[in-house]
Amino acid sequence: MDKALNAGKDAPVTKIPAPKISFWKKVKKSKVLLLMCLPAVLFFFFFSYMPMPGIWVAFVKYNYRDGIFGSAFIGLRNFEFLATSGKLFDLTKNTVLYNLAFILLGNTLAVFVAILLNEMRGRLFKKISQTIMFLPYFISQVLIGILVFNLLNYDTGFVNGILSSMGLEKWQPYAEPGSWPPLLILIYLWQQTGYNSVVYFAAIMGIDSEMIEAAKVDGANGFQKIRYIILPNLKPTIVILLLFALGGIVKGNFGLFYNVVGTNPLLYSTTDIIETYVYRATMTDFNFSTASAVGLYQSIIGFIIVVTVNWIVRKVEPDYSLF
Amino acid sequence: MKKKLVALLLAATMVTGLVGCGNSSASSSTASNPSSSSSESAEESTKENTKESTEGETAAADIDTSEHVVITYMTTGEIPTGTKEKYDAMMVELNKILTEKVNAELQIYFIPWTDYLSNYNLTLASMDGTVDLVGTASDWLDAWPNAKNGAFLELSEDMLKTYAPQTWESVPASNWDLCKYNGEIYLMPEDNYAQWVNHGFIYRLDYAKEAGLEDGVHSWADLTEYFRYVKQAYPDIIPWDSDGTQYGQLASGYILSNTDYVSIDGLNSGAMWGGTKDDLYTIYSPYVTETDLLVEYAKMMKEWDQIGVWKTDVLNNTASTNRDDYRIGRVAAEQHHTQTWTDLVSHTPANTIYADTPDAASGFFYFGEERDNVVALSITHGAMAVSAGSNNPERALMVYDLLRNDPDCYKLLCYGIQGVSWDMDESGLRILPEGYNQDTDNINGTTNYWWGRNDNLEIRDATRNWSEIDKLYDHYDSVKIEYPYGQFVADVDMIQSQINNINEIHTNYMKQISFGKYKGTAEEIVAEYQAALEAAGINDVTAELQRQFDELYK
Repeated sequence: MDKALNAGKDAPVTKIPAPKISFWKKVKKSKVLLLMCLPAVLFFFFFSYMPMPGIWVAFVKYNYRDGIFGSAFIGLRNFEFLATSGKLFDLTKNTVLYNLAFILLGNTLAVFVAILLNEMRGRLFKKISQTIMFLPYFISQVLIGILVFNLLNYDTGFVNGILSSMGLEKWQPYAEPGSWPPLLILIYLWQQTGYNSVVYFAAIMGIDSEMIEAAKVDGANGFQKIRYIILPNLKPTIVILLLFALGGIVKGNFGLFYNVVGTNPLLYSTTDIIETYVYRATMTDFNFSTASAVGLYQSIIGFIIVVTVNWIVRKVEPDYSLF
Repeated sequence: MKKKLVALLLAATMVTGLVGCGNSSASSSTASNPSSSSSESAEESTKENTKESTEGETAAADIDTSEHVVITYMTTGEIPTGTKEKYDAMMVELNKILTEKVNAELQIYFIPWTDYLSNYNLTLASMDGTVDLVGTASDWLDAWPNAKNGAFLELSEDMLKTYAPQTWESVPASNWDLCKYNGEIYLMPEDNYAQWVNHGFIYRLDYAKEAGLEDGVHSWADLTEYFRYVKQAYPDIIPWDSDGTQYGQLASGYILSNTDYVSIDGLNSGAMWGGTKDDLYTIYSPYVTETDLLVEYAKMMKEWDQIGVWKTDVLNNTASTNRDDYRIGRVAAEQHHTQTWTDLVSHTPANTIYADTPDAASGFFYFGEERDNVVALSITHGAMAVSAGSNNPERALMVYDLLRNDPDCYKLLCYGIQGVSWDMDESGLRILPEGYNQDTDNINGTTNYWWGRNDNLEIRDATRNWSEIDKLYDHYDSVKIEYPYGQFVADVDMIQSQINNINEIHTNYMKQISFGKYKGTAEEIVAEYQAALEAAGINDVTAELQRQFDELYK
């Protein structure tokens, strides 16, 4: 029955004498577009698809002379250490929660800042504030680690210097795991907001000015303009950026965590993410296979999350989904 | 039209760029293939050679050195910048000799200290013939894991006899046995060089005397007293500006001082398994069995933390320059090995404390002093290997033989050009020539040839305090035992994941314990630590190591 129905449905489609365009004609027709695509296609082919068979290294006992495919197959043993550590859950939880905070707060703040910038009238002030917010993005995370240590350390830190000169009790964040989630999020926002807001700012610039003018004519005030014109127009950008960001949700920000928190075990309960744990645990034995196993684990989880979220988005608003 | 053209050009450049990349990598990989096969065939041909010629020595004359080759030797150390000019001049001289004798020249491939172990292993893993000779070490440069991974060439006896005859002669057979894995020799050991790298505390003897410790510090209790005094009497000095990485040495030092534990090198950074002096071949981990001792240790370290021996945020302190601060009197102790003490105890120009304070003196409390628990250094603490990716392994061996045994080559490589970087006084000691500048002329601290030093050729440094040093070395020699586990190369494949997790637990808990930063009581933290170790399978690891031990030693 189903088949019959489907066949019936399909039949007219195929019967329409569509002008048969050959593959080569299509290529010829859009050759400029294809050429423009080519670098990106080649890039992904060479740097993403060609190395992909190398994933095999996660399943072998790698040895230099036999190479990736010649080494002995050992199944899932490389994944064992992550599972047997008993920390996989905590690590994944920390990683995901931090990334959620980074993504959600980061994007919200970036949209907010982009709108503020858009509303500013003074051109000079706008440029200066944009530049100042952008600058932290260029600071190496190693330097950020040092800056934070010099601000917060107990004996000679700037903050504690002020606290003690005001007669207040000193604060010892490097012994208090509870202080780090807000601190790390703050540091992340400070560093990334300027950069992230540029994309949104550009998207706002791209909104048809006629719409905004029409709204003004209709008597919309500033807030109404933001609420009914700018935000709805930003929605596709926000959704796409969120989808991209979610793919990396199990990939921790190693640079930030390692440099700011360092290897202080007192703080691990709230700051240890998959990357930092794996780095510490495998640094001593230089094991390519275990490291790749962890990478594969993260990629698979990331893949599942992207596909799921994309599926949800497609259900709700098909236009916004990535694929 | 213009746009089209630009797009086309852009695409074209990208494509050619990528194609170029593809080509070069392809050609390099094909290039490396024949090289590895040629090295194999070369190995075979050397075997044939030596079969034909009955005597190793006569074979040396037959070796074909008609092609001039460059031998690259890999060492840890900073690429010379200030000393570059003198370094280049030295290399020219050295290469003259090497060219004349074996028609080869030497190049040094430096692995800078930042992340040295990763870069070192990565360079070995690439196996593309960038390096020929590899400075390595079984305890700190992953010599055995790399040998197992196939990074080093098996050195057959024939090869050694033919191409490195002096080295072959000078190393006794029992020492060659310690360089074998699965019956094959992989390393050429630095077995004729007296050095001690057992750790301990270097401290200010003058302060200790002021503190009432007339003969200096000789126990951990003395150390506590010493630190307490320094903190009170010299409030401007941090007694010991430790960074967060010292936890392991401290803990193992405390165990050495209070038990007869002898650890196995190279299993993990904590050296958590071993035997005892009376019963060397029964493996245990004192970190599991010595509960009372660890509690005592945890309490003592809490006391040190409260005294203020180190900075409050010691666990995040990565910028410590404690050793240099010791030289100029800004700290009062340094935890490191005997070799470092021989430097700090000597009145060198860099050690300004001796010039600034007339009665300044440095003492050394070595871990294990209380019970004379001293184990001699493994002979593979420094060793030379030949890379399996080398295109000229035979010539590499010939070059090494000269570097190790030829006085001229040895002096050039280790000390530099005589009269420029060093000189000899009437009593045969090494002195600094007139107008010497440490920043531009120092070769001894540049080439880092730690993989075949030779006491027959060493020239003693006149600035060293030899009376003190010889006294301590003689004492060590009278109480030491030889490192007993030289032949044991653990097969850790089945227990690697446990060891990884144990490393992590040890690091996390020991940092808290060793710097007195734990919450709760000492008993609680030690119990928690030991429970975590057991949960991670430390007993399984011990049992597996014991099984491998029994196979080897019984």
